[in-house]
Amino acid sequence: MIEGVGTPSEQFIASVREALGRKAGPPERPYARMVEERASVEERAEATMERLSANRRANVDELARVASLRGWVVHRAEGVEDAVGYVYQLAQKLETRRVVRSVEDVFGDVPLDDALTSLGATVHVMARGDESAGSFDPADADLGVTGVDYAIAETGTAVILPRRGVSRVTSLLPPVHVALVKPSQTLEGLDDLYLLRRLAYLRDGVDAGSYMNFITGPSRTADIEQTLVIGAHGPRETHMVILDWGL
Amino acid sequence: MSEVKTQEFRRASAKVLANAKLQSYLGRSMGTFDGARAEAIEEISPERWEELRQQGREIKRHTLDNLDYYLEMLQERVTANGGHVHFAKDAAEARAIVGQIAQTRGLKLAIKSKSMVSEEMGLNPFLESIGTEPVETDLGEYIIQLAEETPFHIIAPAMHKSKEEVSELFGEKIGRPNLQDIEAMAGAAREVLREKLVSADMGITGANFLVAETGTVTLITNEGNGRFCTSVPRVLVSITGMEKVVPSMEDLATFIRLLPRAATGQRISSYVTHVYGPKRPEDEDGPEEYHLIIVDNGRSKLLADPDLREALYCIRCGACLNTCPVYRKVGGHSYGWVYPGPIGAVVSPVLVGLERSKDLPNASSLCGACKDVCPIKINIPHMLLKLRSQISEGSPTSSTKASFVDRITSKGYRRLMSSPRLLGMARTLGLLAQWPFSRGSFIRRMPIPPFSRWTRTRDMPALAPKSFRQVWKERLEEEGR
Amino acid sequence: MADSSQIRASLFVTCLVDQLFPEVGEAVVGVLRGQGVRVDFPPGQTCCGQPLFNSGFRKDAAELGRRVLDEFEQSAYVVVPSGSCASMMKVFYPEIFRDDPVYGPKAKALSEKVYEFSQFLVKVMGVEDVGASHEGKVAYHPSCHLLRELEAKEEPVTLLEGVEGLEHVPLEDADTCCGFGGTFSVKYPGISQAMLDDKVDNVVKSGASTVTACDASCLMQIRGGLRRRGVGVEARHLAEILWDGK
Repeated sequence: MIEGVGTPSEQFIASVREALGRKAGPPERPYARMVEERASVEERAEATMERLSANRRANVDELARVASLRGWVVHRAEGVEDAVGYVYQLAQKLETRRVVRSVEDVFGDVPLDDALTSLGATVHVMARGDESAGSFDPADADLGVTGVDYAIAETGTAVILPRRGVSRVTSLLPPVHVALVKPSQTLEGLDDLYLLRRLAYLRDGVDAGSYMNFITGPSRTADIEQTLVIGAHGPRETHMVILDWGL
Repeated sequence: MSEVKTQEFRRASAKVLANAKLQSYLGRSMGTFDGARAEAIEEISPERWEELRQQGREIKRHTLDNLDYYLEMLQERVTANGGHVHFAKDAAEARAIVGQIAQTRGLKLAIKSKSMVSEEMGLNPFLESIGTEPVETDLGEYIIQLAEETPFHIIAPAMHKSKEEVSELFGEKIGRPNLQDIEAMAGAAREVLREKLVSADMGITGANFLVAETGTVTLITNEGNGRFCTSVPRVLVSITGMEKVVPSMEDLATFIRLLPRAATGQRISSYVTHVYGPKRPEDEDGPEEYHLIIVDNGRSKLLADPDLREALYCIRCGACLNTCPVYRKVGGHSYGWVYPGPIGAVVSPVLVGLERSKDLPNASSLCGACKDVCPIKINIPHMLLKLRSQISEGSPTSSTKASFVDRITSKGYRRLMSSPRLLGMARTLGLLAQWPFSRGSFIRRMPIPPFSRWTRTRDMPALAPKSFRQVWKERLEEEGR
Repeated sequence: MADSSQIRASLFVTCLVDQLFPEVGEAVVGVLRGQGVRVDFPPGQTCCGQPLFNSGFRKDAAELGRRVLDEFEQSAYVVVPSGSCASMMKVFYPEIFRDDPVYGPKAKALSEKVYEFSQFLVKVMGVEDVGASHEGKVAYHPSCHLLRELEAKEEPVTLLEGVEGLEHVPLEDADTCCGFGGTFSVKYPGISQAMLDDKVDNVVKSGASTVTACDASCLMQIRGGLRRRGVGVEARHLAEILWDGK
């Protein structure tokens, strides 16, 4: 640990308290959100899930609309073949040699590996203990394919929670990223997402995960003369394939 | 602390005013930012925008009013998530903490995602001095690191550099000469930086928001460098001002709607990254060690003054800079420290000391455009006025005093305006004094200060032959009967 | 909206109008009387104290403020032909005197009855057409305090558009400050001038023959710039335009 540098926390917090002229303890005027009982958060989350499932069609339509405005290439696949075919054609067009993907259920619904291999590409699974990794450096991949944990219609955002089987960099290192989205993962807005993740933390604490990423279209910069350049450190091309058949 | 040049405002701003190229460029590009913001607000509807601003303001007010409580909660949760929390009362302590982490872990290459606090601390030269190479990975920050300058703008640090200047810089500093277009320059930076991004052992970030309840650090970025910094290196350090806390995850929705729109007119940035401590044992990747450094560095002085506390509500979007007619003329470097523009004119004097930054609160026409565009409705002009009073009349924390001339002038003015009779006498003298200079109802040149500073570039009205009160007495009062 | 036959209003003419532009005061009185307002002029008035307040001399400003509060205590309404001085009285007096047991309540009372000239006409009197006529193109510069402290966006425009023969032409970046800013204009003349240059450019571009505003101070700045550049556009207070043709 770091010893002997910095200000001890009690002292620091006491000095903040003194600056505020406040006594220790919770806020005098409580903040509604923070004094809410867990049961009430759970109730709200349940109501949210019900609303989402009732409005699923509309939310998926809105997701597709907004995501394409935010720079995603959106494809609404009508079936497994259509989804696989889309990724196949994309890989063909890009002359893809190396593909990395995560380990997620969605690849059971959409088996991509054989199709990609038939193109002559090698598919690497970015997970520990995976044999195919070998001496492969994921930084050399030219296509990254992942599922998502949520997709937010309001902002056209794919939300990924890295964990076992889901690396932080599968969607970051390759210049092209494909995200597979199930309609059941679609949320209406940011409020839904944060409510659900808040509840996950209240339930599971440290086990709720170490990281959460929102991805909205390609990486970009406008730092030189305010001129937009698509493709900075992250992918320059992002595809959202919506698995639009009852998943 | 990074070098303070706030006392050089007059000289620095005069230089920018004389630079015709920069003048025309500044006006244009600030207008672009401003226009993008206005468009994004129109899209979401001004009513909705107003609602979000109010929400944002109330969340900030509540959190800052109870900051000790939420800092305690934050510390507890980050620790529960497996991270380490450090507190630094000033820049020196913050540097020492980073230094200790880098040295005890033998860290050699630090990739940095944009952090204003690290600018406050002068972190880069310090890291170099202890043998850890700091690399700014945001393109704008990278450019100014190569140029050995400070940020010109909160969200567009290198906006003052033309593509020709960047091209020259890249030729000279990273061996990529003769790049013609901006895309090629961004590409060159990407290639050079990629090598650093995948091999660094230390990641350093700032924080846009800290969520107390879940111990989460939130970063909002567009380039993807923030994702590298939080994913690749084995040690991750986030350095942040203590004011960035919000109570709950659910509060983030409001700020994620506000910040990108106010900053660049984007509906959302490409990436919003949430870090909950180090990687968990089962994770594929992520930092093995996580440190959060919470910095005061003068902020408790803002906190302690109820009239200035709201300066800490700032979410660093830069909208007040873009809209400020003074910033548009003098640019970012004139302000002489990390935070330029209207919000800088409030924050810098308190953080670096009022004595050496008297120009900052004064160099404003108090037009209030900043308050209008602020996504948190921070009343910057009122705070500038408060600081002016501290400069002129002194304050509990500072011993500044107005200049002798200013004090005499103000007493004289007060005395004059306390008596209509005295005012009338002064008027008679004034009519005599202006006689040799006036041409009709105007004066083209008056050699006596402060009037000379007016007539250098503007015609000045002469005292009217009769004051209104005389006209009233002689004619108007009677006519109303 | 009040019955105009009963309205009495005290004029706070502002020190600038008193000493430099009495014709603006005359126009204000003329327009108000034309609407049936009984106008008085409390003779002890001088300056609202804003220059001192803005320079950070709050104690000196408060001394002048107390004079104003006493002088206008009996008034039913106070009308001010300046968005800036009206903000001082409406917004900043209550702040200056917030802890003063005697003048705090007086400041609050004044705050409720003080109106900038155009706001008084539209909001209190319910007037949109004062019966003026003015041939020509007029551009309107919304002065900052009027716009942002008093939030008067529409009132001056409404009144202008009621003037017969007047063509209201748009002014580019109208909401941007002209660079006056009180003592700012002489403390930082370079910046003030650069801001003024933009304003003058936009006035010229608008094609207007007259630029108007509700503050004699901003107009002094704009006029000073127009004249120095030899541009033949007039800069006149809104009250003067509303008094045209009378």
